[in-house]
Amino acid sequence: MKLDTKQIVGISIGLLGLISPFFFQLEGLSDAGHVALGIFFLAAAYWMLEPFPIYATSVLVIFLQVILLSQQGFLFPESTAQYTPDDYTAFIGTLASPIIILFLGGFVLADAAVKYDLDRNLTRILLSPFGKKPGSIVLGLMVVTALLSAFMSNTATTAMMMTVILPIMARIGKTDPLRIGLALCIPFAANIGGIATPIGTPPNAVVIGALSQQGINIPFGEWMILATPLVVVALLFAWFLLIKMFKPEAESIQIDMSGKFNTSGNAILLYIAFAATVLFWVTESFHGVKSAIIALIPVVFLTLSGVVTKEDIRKLPWEVLWLVAGGISLGISMKSTGLAEWIVGSIEWSAFGTISLLVVFAGVSVLMSNFLSNTVTATLLIPLAVSLATSGVAGEGFNLIIVSLVIGVSASMAMMLPISTPPNAIAMSTGTIQTSNMAKAGVSVGIFGIILVVIYALFYWPFILN
Amino acid sequence: MDRQIYILVVEDELEVMEALVNDLEQFEEYFPIESANSSEEAKQVVKDIYASGNEIGLVLCDHVMPGQNGVDFLIELQTNNQQHNAKKVLVTGQAGLEDTIQAINNAQLDHYIAKPWTKEQLEQVVTAQLTNYVMDQRYNPMQYMMILDSVRLSEYMRTHKITDH
Repeated sequence: MKLDTKQIVGISIGLLGLISPFFFQLEGLSDAGHVALGIFFLAAAYWMLEPFPIYATSVLVIFLQVILLSQQGFLFPESTAQYTPDDYTAFIGTLASPIIILFLGGFVLADAAVKYDLDRNLTRILLSPFGKKPGSIVLGLMVVTALLSAFMSNTATTAMMMTVILPIMARIGKTDPLRIGLALCIPFAANIGGIATPIGTPPNAVVIGALSQQGINIPFGEWMILATPLVVVALLFAWFLLIKMFKPEAESIQIDMSGKFNTSGNAILLYIAFAATVLFWVTESFHGVKSAIIALIPVVFLTLSGVVTKEDIRKLPWEVLWLVAGGISLGISMKSTGLAEWIVGSIEWSAFGTISLLVVFAGVSVLMSNFLSNTVTATLLIPLAVSLATSGVAGEGFNLIIVSLVIGVSASMAMMLPISTPPNAIAMSTGTIQTSNMAKAGVSVGIFGIILVVIYALFYWPFILN
Repeated sequence: MDRQIYILVVEDELEVMEALVNDLEQFEEYFPIESANSSEEAKQVVKDIYASGNEIGLVLCDHVMPGQNGVDFLIELQTNNQQHNAKKVLVTGQAGLEDTIQAINNAQLDHYIAKPWTKEQLEQVVTAQLTNYVMDQRYNPMQYMMILDSVRLSEYMRTHKITDH
C-alpha cells in the first residue's frame, strides 16, 4: 500500500477529527458524545476525501463504535448517568438489518436478470412502441432506463443502455446535438429512476434504515406512491430539457435490437421469481408481510433452484451493503450518545421557517451529492434531520418522514458533473459530451429537483402520509 | 491511469515497420507505440518497459527476421510470468503451417494477420485485442471507452457490476 500526498492529508485530517473532541469539554455533550463526535468527524473526512474506499471507511466506523462505544468496548463498560452503552451486536447487526436484506434480495434478482438478459429483452420490447422520431426515442430510452434502474443498480442499467445507444450514436451525424442528448438522457434517467423504489439506489436505504430506527416502517408500495409521481415529473422535465437544449437534426433513428427472451428452465424460474417478488413488494400494505421478509423469497428460491450459483453470489456488490450498514450504524451512536440532539440543539432553528428548512436540506443534499457519493451525503445529513424532527425544536410542521425523504430524494438529483454519479461518469467516458454540456443540463435538473422536492414535501407527501 | 499500456511492433523491414506504425496512429494517444527491428532488440524494449513500471498490452510481430524468429520470440514472451498477459498477433506472409501451430500451441497466439493487411483490418484487430487485454486485466473500462470497443466495454460494465454509491 503506497500513499500519495492527497491520501496522507485525508488520513491526517480524519485522525485529527477523531481525537479533537477529547481536547475540548463541549458543554451539554456527554463523554460518550465526545467520542461519537470524533468518530463522526473521522467518518465524514474519510467519506468525503476518500483516502480509503468508502466501504472500507464504513467497516472502520462499525469497528470504532464497537471498540469505543459499545458495552464490550474499552471506554464504557458500565452505564453512566448520561450514557447507556449499546451492546456491540447493535452495531454489527446493522450488516443484517432489514433494509440490507431488502437490498440483498434486490441484488440477487438484478444479478439473475442480467445473467439471463432479462434487462436487455425488456428494453427491446418496451422501446418498440416509441417509434422512430428522435424526440420520442429519447423519451422511450429515458422511461425504460428509469424503470430498470428502479429495480437494478443505476450503474448497471446505464452500462446496459450504453450498449443500446452507442450503435445509434455511431450512425447519426458527428455534429448532430442529438448525440449529446442521447448520451445524457441515459445517466439522467438512471439517476432519477433510482428514486422510485426502496431498492432503486442506496440513499433510499439510508432513509429507510434511519426511519426504521425510529420505529417507522415504510412499506415498499408506500415508498413508491410517495416517490413515483415525483420521478415521473422529474423525468419528463429532464426529457423536455434535453430535447430543447440539444435539438436533434436527424429526422428519424433506427434502433435495431435483436434477440429473444431466454426460454431455458432457469430463465423461466427467474421470470417467475422476479414477477412474484415485485408483486409481493408493491402489495406490502395489503398483506402486511414486510418487504425485507419478501426479499428472502428470491434469495431462497433462486439459490435452491441453482439459477444463482456460488460464483454469482461471490460477485454481488457486497461493498454497497457495507456502505449502507456503516451509515446506519453511525446513526445508532449519534442518537444514543445524545450527539445528534446536541448538534441540533446548538443551532437556533426557530429562526427558520419550515419551508426554508426544507429548501436548505434539499439544497445542501443536492449540492453535497454532486461532489460526494449520494449515499454518503444521505448518511451524513439524515441523523441531523432525524434529531431535528424528533426533538421538536424545528416546530410542528417539520415531519420526520418528510424531511428524511427530502434528503434521500435530493441526493439522487445530483447530476451536474462526471464525478456526481457513476452513471454520469460512464456517459462522460464515451467522449460524446463535454463537461459543460453535462453541467448546464445537470444544474437545471438539480434546481428543478430542489423545487420539485420542496413542493412535494409541502403538499403531496403530507397528503399521502396523513 | 498510472501505468502506460504499450503496443510493441517487431519488424525487421523498415518500410513495413513504418507502414504498420502509421496505420496504428489513432491508438498512439492512449497506447504508446514502441518498435524493434529484431527479436533481440524487442526483448530489451520489453525489459525496459516493465522496468519502468509500465506494461505491454499488445505485440504485433513479424515472423521471418534475422536472428531469432518471431514465433520463438512470442513463445519466450509467453513463458514469462509478467509478460505473458500481452496479446500476441503475428503479422506475416511467411509463417508456415508448422510455425503457426507452434505459435498457437505454445505462445497462445491471439490473432494472425496475413500480409498485406489493410488499415481497416489492422485497426479492427488491434481494437479487439486491446479491448480483450483491458478486460482481462480488469482495468477500469471507462478510461478506454473513447478509443476501444465501447459496446463491449459497456457490456463488461453491465455484467461486472460497477456499483452505485
